[in-house]
Amino acid sequence: MYSDLLHALPDVFAWTNFVAVVIGVIAGIVVGAMPGLSATMAISVLVPFTFGLEPLVALGLMAGIYNGAMYGGAIPAVLLRIPGTPAAVATTFDGYPMAQKGEGGFALQVAVVSSSIGGIASAFALMLLAPPLSKVTLLFGPSEVFWVAVFGLASIIFLLGGNPIKGLISACFGVFVSVIGSDPIYGNDRFTFGQLEMLDGINIVILLVGLYALPPVIDLLETPLKTGGVNSSKLGTEPIWKALPRMKYWKTWLRGSFLGIWIGILPGAGGSMAAFMSYNEARRTSKNPEKWGEGEPEGVAAAEVANNADTASALIPALTLGIPGTAVAAVMLGGLLVHGLQPGPMLFRDNPDIVFGFMWQFLFGAILLVLLGGSLATNSFARLLNLPRPLLGSVIIVLMLIGVYSIHGRMFDVYLMLGFGAIGWVMDRLKFPLPPVVLGLILGGFAEENLRLALRIGRGDPMVLFQNWTSLILVALTVAVVVGPTLKKRFIDSRKKA
Amino acid sequence: MPESRNSCLTRPETLTAIGIIVVAAGFLVPTFDLRAISALLPAAMLIGLIVLSVFLLLADQRKASAGEDAAPMTTSPKRVIGAFLMIVSYALACDFVGFYISTAVTIPLVAWTFGYRSPVGLLIATVIVVGTIWAIFDFGMSQDFPTGRLWGR
Repeated sequence: MYSDLLHALPDVFAWTNFVAVVIGVIAGIVVGAMPGLSATMAISVLVPFTFGLEPLVALGLMAGIYNGAMYGGAIPAVLLRIPGTPAAVATTFDGYPMAQKGEGGFALQVAVVSSSIGGIASAFALMLLAPPLSKVTLLFGPSEVFWVAVFGLASIIFLLGGNPIKGLISACFGVFVSVIGSDPIYGNDRFTFGQLEMLDGINIVILLVGLYALPPVIDLLETPLKTGGVNSSKLGTEPIWKALPRMKYWKTWLRGSFLGIWIGILPGAGGSMAAFMSYNEARRTSKNPEKWGEGEPEGVAAAEVANNADTASALIPALTLGIPGTAVAAVMLGGLLVHGLQPGPMLFRDNPDIVFGFMWQFLFGAILLVLLGGSLATNSFARLLNLPRPLLGSVIIVLMLIGVYSIHGRMFDVYLMLGFGAIGWVMDRLKFPLPPVVLGLILGGFAEENLRLALRIGRGDPMVLFQNWTSLILVALTVAVVVGPTLKKRFIDSRKKA
Repeated sequence: MPESRNSCLTRPETLTAIGIIVVAAGFLVPTFDLRAISALLPAAMLIGLIVLSVFLLLADQRKASAGEDAAPMTTSPKRVIGAFLMIVSYALACDFVGFYISTAVTIPLVAWTFGYRSPVGLLIATVIVVGTIWAIFDFGMSQDFPTGRLWGR
């Protein structure tokens, strides 16, 4: 089962693939360090530029960005008390007080080492758990695949938290977008309104760039953030090999890694929840909890190890079932599709070198964090915070246009992207979740195709969808995911009243 | 900061819900011309959008009648509208005037308008960005960019 994993290793060491991971990690740290930008946005903007690249180069860039951005978010969290990414909120609790005490350099070094450990643990979890899971899913037929798609959508809508009506609207919108274009079986046009450009359907990259890149650009231009500048020479940085002996957080790293991996696998959770849970647990078990919040380095370690431990693990359900654990994983699924790699069991059978190579790239990305982030982060990356936001916004606008235009070489796609961008901005402001839209687009066509196939096999009888145990288990899981949060809330409310 | 509105129908969520209902109903019309199996999923999604939007609208109106103010979508509407207009204008300019001219104008214009006022910084950034794009995409990858419909190309 794991022999393919070893066979994929030499490909990863091809210099182009390795350089891609290095560039990805650096770019990820830069993006994570800029408040308002995120790994999701960076990967969305990157995906169209990877069309002409070899799959492993493209995936290496994505893996590097994901790892790098999760750590990069700690830089403004520590230095300015502004989390660079949502997952870095818990890092501010002790990171910022440390910076105020003149230990900002050490806080960033704790962050980078912890992030690296979390990322390595997560990559190992992906390597160990994804292959056996993919074997199980090979047994699925059309009706089971249809229910997997429904379960995936239900999970991301209801486990994401927030307003389920908004989640459902997002998912319906995504699925509707997936049916635009030619009917996969009869070939008749659906909602193309005579536009030849839409016959092939809506390219996922156009939707990704519109939804995930345009709203942050508007945010950059809307609020002129005054940071007052960061003087990196006052961070109190020492070489990382001298700082390492001071880091004795093995229990915290182990617990945080486990929590991060587990939360990453759960659809809809994500890095913020992992970081908060890890921070709380570490504080609860600490010998001196009263020092937490006043500059306790272990607090930074707890938050950072967990938010990086959910990176690769979020890809376990994404690669095997097509259900991403986080928004970034949803965007990465889009990146895989761009390269003709359909997530699911066939991915492991048909493209073992690529999928296992991708896993190795996650591992190397996590290791590289210490080498790149550790030696450069505390001074060079801290200076990134002085970059002017309006200038950054204008450059991202140009990159968005180039990326989308280069898909088919037509302006129609750019206008479509702007339309999705406007919708994305409204959704973002009204707190409609965006991942269900992406997942709806990815799983919508997949679900429809398998539903129609199942109905054909059953000669039109819908009971064919409920004729075996696997389907029934998936239906039960879907119902549990839909009803579970409501029941849990009622249970908690009744206990509070009692 | 809460806002006061003259009409409860101008609340952002209410307007969004009404917008979704109207657009989804409009898209529902062409589904009647499709084969039943072909229309199944799109019709289900559109009807779903309409029903869910009605729920959203009712929930928001309930909040309005309870005296709960809706949070504003932006604290700087002028900047947001300006940003959108500039992005759309840039896309149109690329289409009609050409990519390089539009980009060379847009980068400093957007950055200047939204608060970055260093002429030297703007010049350096513009030269670096446009030069890098040309070197990587045009020279290195032979990528064609829009040359401008106004010039008949």
